[in-house]
Amino acid sequence: MTLDSIVTGRTNGGRLLFTAIAALSLTIMYAPALYLLFASLNPDEQLRLVAPNRYSLTWYGALLDDHRLFGALKESVFIALATAVLATPIGLSAALAYRAMTRMRNIFLLILLSAVFVPGTIEGLGLSVMLRFARVSPSWVTVTMGHLLWTLPFAATVSLLGLSAVKPNTIEAARDLGASPMRAFVDVTLPLMRGSLISSFVFAFLLSLNEHARAYYLVGRQNTLPLHMFGAMNSGASPTIYAFSGAVIVVSFASVALIFFGVARQQRGDDGERRVRRRLESVVVLR
Amino acid sequence: MTDDKVAGLPAANAFFLALPSLVVFVLMGFTPLVLIATWSFWSFDPDTYWIKPVWSLTSYVALLQDGRASVLLRTAGLAGLTAAASTLLAVPAATVVGLLSGRRRAALLVALFTIPFFTSGLVRAFAWRLVLGREGIINNVLISLGVADTPVEWLLFSDFAVVLGMVAAYLPFAIIPIVLLFARIDQSVIRASQDLGAGFWMMFSTIVLPLIMPGIIAGFLFVFVVAVGTSMEIQLLGGAGASSTSIMINDVMRVVNFPLAFAIATVVVISLIALVIIANGMLKLSRLFEELGT
Repeated sequence: MTLDSIVTGRTNGGRLLFTAIAALSLTIMYAPALYLLFASLNPDEQLRLVAPNRYSLTWYGALLDDHRLFGALKESVFIALATAVLATPIGLSAALAYRAMTRMRNIFLLILLSAVFVPGTIEGLGLSVMLRFARVSPSWVTVTMGHLLWTLPFAATVSLLGLSAVKPNTIEAARDLGASPMRAFVDVTLPLMRGSLISSFVFAFLLSLNEHARAYYLVGRQNTLPLHMFGAMNSGASPTIYAFSGAVIVVSFASVALIFFGVARQQRGDDGERRVRRRLESVVVLR
Repeated sequence: MTDDKVAGLPAANAFFLALPSLVVFVLMGFTPLVLIATWSFWSFDPDTYWIKPVWSLTSYVALLQDGRASVLLRTAGLAGLTAAASTLLAVPAATVVGLLSGRRRAALLVALFTIPFFTSGLVRAFAWRLVLGREGIINNVLISLGVADTPVEWLLFSDFAVVLGMVAAYLPFAIIPIVLLFARIDQSVIRASQDLGAGFWMMFSTIVLPLIMPGIIAGFLFVFVVAVGTSMEIQLLGGAGASSTSIMINDVMRVVNFPLAFAIATVVVISLIALVIIANGMLKLSRLFEELGT
C-alpha cells in the first residue's frame, strides 16, 4: 500500500485553504489548554504568561495541602478503575456478540451507541431517582453504574476495531491445527487484541475520571474530582485550581497519546506477523 | 454464516455474549428513562418532597410557562450553531486527513483530532476563560496592536464564548464520521477524474462531496445532539443568567420539583430520539460502522 496521499498534483489553493482550516481546528482544540498550562507556571496571583526564567511550581506546591482535592481525586481514581475493570470485558463481550450476530446487529449497534447521545444530566437524574425508588443510597457504586453506561459504547467500539484487525486466516490456521473454538479464541484472538483491550481500559478509565454531568446526581457524600473542580472554578478560582488543571492536562494528554502511538507501533506490521506465528506455534505445542 | 471465523466463536453464543451489555443498557439506561417519562405525569407530593401517583399534566403546562419553552429553543439554537460551525471546520479538516495526507500523517492527524476528547472537558472549557477574559491573551494582543482601546467584553461570558467552547470540545464528533467515509472512497475514482482533467475543486465538489455527504450529516447530528445535552460550557463561559435545558433541570431539581424536571427531560430525550431515528432511517447511519463488522 502506498504511503503517498491520494491527491498529489496542483489543487488551485485547495490544499492551502484546507490545511489552514485543519490547523485552525487543531489550534482551538489545543491552544487554550496549552495556554493554561504555561500560565499556571506563573508564581503571581495574576494568571497570565510570564517570561520562562520566572517559571515556578509555586501553585503546584500549594496543591499538596489541599486535602479536599485529594479526597476527590482518590474517589475519582477508584471509581474510574472500577468502571474500566467492568467496561473492558463487557465491551469485548458486546463486540464479540456484534460479530456473531446476523440480522439483529444493526439494532444492537444502535442500542450500544445510544447511551452516548442521551444527555448526561438526564441519564444521571434518571438513574438517581430509580435508585432512590429502589432504596439504594448514593455512593461510589451508583456513580460507577452511571459511568459504566457512559464508557461502555466506547469500550465496545474499541474492541470492535481491534477484532476487525484480527485476520480471519489466523483463526482458521489455529482451527486447522486442531484448536477448539475456545482455544483459538483464548490463545490467538485474545492475545492479538491485547493493544485494543489496553486502549479500551485506558479510555474507559479516562472518560470516567473526567465525567462531570452524570456524577452530579449520583454521588454520595464524597464529591468526585470534576465536581470538586467545577465548584472551585466557579467560586473565585484560586491559582491552585489552575495548577491542578495543568496537572490534569499533562497526565491525561500524555496517557492518551501513549496509547495512540503505542497502538500505531503495534499495527506497523512486522511485529504483528511475528506475534501471530508465535501464537500459532503455542497452539501446536500445547495441543 | 454459522461460525464467526474471526472470533472463533459459534454464532449461538451471540445472545449470551450480548447479555452483559444489554443488562447494563436496559437496566441502567432505558429503565430510568421510562420511569422518568412515566413519573413526569405524576404530581409533586409536598408531604414527602417526592412524587405521588396522581396523574396530571401540570408539569407539561408549567413547561410552557416562565420562559421555559424559550430555553428549550435557545438550547437547540446554540447547538445548531455549534453543529454548523463544527461542520464547516470538519469538512476541510477531514479532507486533509482523507485526501491530502500520506498514511503516516493521516494517522497522526486522526490521533491529534481524537486525543482531546479523552481529556478533561471541564479543564478545556475552563481554559477558555484565561484566553478570552479581560486580561486574556486575545484582549492583550488586540490592545497592544491598537485594534481595541479597552478590553473587548463580549469575548467571554457570552454566547460567542459558549459556541467556541463547544465547537472546540465536540469537533471530533464531526470529523470522525467523515474520515470513516473517506476510508471507503475508491481511490481510482478520484485518480480517474484527475486523469480526465478535472481540477481539484471540480473533483471535490462533484465526486468527493456527494460521497462524504452521509458523514457530514451524521457529524452535524452528533455534534448537535451532544451540544444539546451539555451544560458545562454554558455554566463556565456563558453570560449571567444564561440557561440551557440541563441547567434548567438542575435549577428545577434544586427546588425538588421532580415532575417538572422529569417533564423537561422527557421532552428533550424524545426529541433527540426522534431526530436520531429519522436521520438513521434517511441515511442508514449504522452503515457508517459497517466495516467494523464483517
